[in-house]
Amino acid sequence: MPEAASVIALNDVTRTYKLGGEVFSALDHVNLSVEAGEFLAIIGPSGSGKSTLANIIGGLDKPTSGTVLIEGNDIAKLHDARLSAYRNRHIGFVFQSFNLQGNNTALENVMLPLVFAKQNRKTRKARAIACLEAVGLSDRLQHKTNQLSGGQRQRVAIARALAVQPSIIIADEPTGNLDSARGQEIMQLLSKLNKDGITLIMITHDQSLAAQAHRIIEIRDGKLTGRKG
Amino acid sequence: MRFTDYVLIALRNIWRAKLRSALTIFAVVIGAMSVTIMLALVTGAKSFFLNQVEANGTLQQVAVSPQQDITNFNDAQHSGGGNCSANCVKLTDDIANKIKAVPHVVGVARIAGQGMLAAIGYGGQLLTLNQTTAYDANGIISNNVLAGRDIAASDTSGVITMTSDYADKFGFKGNYQGIIGKTVKLQTQDFYRGVGATVQPPQQCNGPCNSNNQPDNQPTTLTATVVGVIDTSNDSKAIRVPLEWMRQMQENQMYQMTPADQAADQADQAKCRKVPGPCNTTQHFSLVVTDMLAQNGYSSLIAKVDNSKNAASVATAIKKFGVGAADASASVKQQLTIFNIVGLVLGSIGGIALAVAAVGVVNTMVMAILERTREIGVMRAVGAKRSTVRSLFTIEASLLGFWGGVVGVLAGFGLTRIANILVNKQLASQSVKAHNIIGLPLWLILTVIGITTLIGMLAGLYPAGRAAKLDPVEALRYE
Repeated sequence: MPEAASVIALNDVTRTYKLGGEVFSALDHVNLSVEAGEFLAIIGPSGSGKSTLANIIGGLDKPTSGTVLIEGNDIAKLHDARLSAYRNRHIGFVFQSFNLQGNNTALENVMLPLVFAKQNRKTRKARAIACLEAVGLSDRLQHKTNQLSGGQRQRVAIARALAVQPSIIIADEPTGNLDSARGQEIMQLLSKLNKDGITLIMITHDQSLAAQAHRIIEIRDGKLTGRKG
Repeated sequence: MRFTDYVLIALRNIWRAKLRSALTIFAVVIGAMSVTIMLALVTGAKSFFLNQVEANGTLQQVAVSPQQDITNFNDAQHSGGGNCSANCVKLTDDIANKIKAVPHVVGVARIAGQGMLAAIGYGGQLLTLNQTTAYDANGIISNNVLAGRDIAASDTSGVITMTSDYADKFGFKGNYQGIIGKTVKLQTQDFYRGVGATVQPPQQCNGPCNSNNQPDNQPTTLTATVVGVIDTSNDSKAIRVPLEWMRQMQENQMYQMTPADQAADQADQAKCRKVPGPCNTTQHFSLVVTDMLAQNGYSSLIAKVDNSKNAASVATAIKKFGVGAADASASVKQQLTIFNIVGLVLGSIGGIALAVAAVGVVNTMVMAILERTREIGVMRAVGAKRSTVRSLFTIEASLLGFWGGVVGVLAGFGLTRIANILVNKQLASQSVKAHNIIGLPLWLILTVIGITTLIGMLAGLYPAGRAAKLDPVEALRYE
């Protein structure tokens, strides 16, 4: 792993929820830094706070307290419009259930983030084609995603994540809905992207997948309990 | 995000749920069509009315009545003549000349109506005569001539124009030219003593006679040549005669004992007494013709004004002669107000349908948001702002309203074409020159589409707000 500055720095981050009359801590005084170009795996049992941590890093959620510095900017203090712009420009999400628009083509799905980036149609299309080529789907541009296999859909999702040229990709159980062979293909693709310089944060419960990361952190009951790698 | 992208995404989403979108749009179509037809009807009627008013020159007219307290144009125009008693000034030639001299008055038409004529007959048919009018043929009062010509200033007697309904009844429907030049009979009332009436001296009855040996009242038959057929937009079942002939018809011919007749009687008596024996002399009577029109005055007058803006001030000036005067602007305004109220009421009825359609739009959009909750989560994850999500759904709802408006207007257009065919037939049967009066002006089309789009947008505000407020994390987890 190359030497690089911290691109992500969480300082004393806590995220609590009120359920009924009780307060539940999804994250409890978490401190974490991630360097640029690092491949970090977050593991932990179900309900441990992995997804909450990923959502806060990705700007989908805000901490109850603490700071979240991404490239020096505290995104916890941003209002919706700027936070949305931050996600659009810096973060690519890859979800376990792909979260594609089934009735749209692969090309249209990949163009979606670029629509919100206010790029013109010609630019969007060119960029989307390039992303789909990068994931090996240049022959599936006009296929509706509900006509693709699981592995192909996840590739489209990765292409979508790449469309805005993010500095960080957050993959939440990216192989969870795939068989082992397809899962390996996806992991190879994600590793390649990481080698090209994108910071990769992967949430997984699969130890063998986590072992492919530069660093593994374990989270339990909202606390980081161990670091490996 | 560019506006075109909003529209394209919204259109795509509408297309994705075709049946649901079609049903929602259909409800808007019903409302839009109703509003379109109703407003087209009212707009057409208003336009037709204004065209008639302008064609008649009504806005440049002031109606003068002998009744001082008349303030309505139509009432002033149709106020009868006859004996003028309280609050009444006779409309004489002198008054007419004074009115002609009022600033901005360019001419005066004298109107006389009478009930002397009872029936009109042609070809063995005798029809009750509804109305007989006469007025100056100076162009102030104009008629729509369907065949022949109108009464001219050079006509003095023996000619009439008739409204087309009489020509129809006499068998000239569709061929009004055919009755031009024909001679008709005009039957008077029993008490008629005008021109052409047989008037006999008293106590000389050449039959039929009453018990006092006085001639029994019998109607007189006059003849006239038809010179023109007029449409029924001003009057129906009416004939028009030259003003001079009306004057003659209204004359009262009566044998009276004048002072000269009395002197002659006395002279005869004196002569007779000089001769021994019984003295039987014949009384002298002279036929006295009284101009009743001059005595009673005209029914009304119409003063033509140089500019419609001056009509009100001219009416005020004319009232100073002690007569009643009214310009048409108040009547026209009142009529237009009635049209507007009717339009509002009818439009509101159509608006109820649109309100119901709006509820349908709300329901459709709420359903769409429920179905697309995860999709909203993805949009937010890849960078859509809350305002972007709100705008997307608002525009989608607006488009539902827009398309409903477009289709509704098209459907309304089709129905107005059918309505025009029916109305054209009706107007043609009454010989009214008007065609396709129910129209869809561009402003009406744009207004209806604008209203339906606005209603769609307003209906979409609540669902769009809900969509915008969705927590992206919760939305991504939604099953």
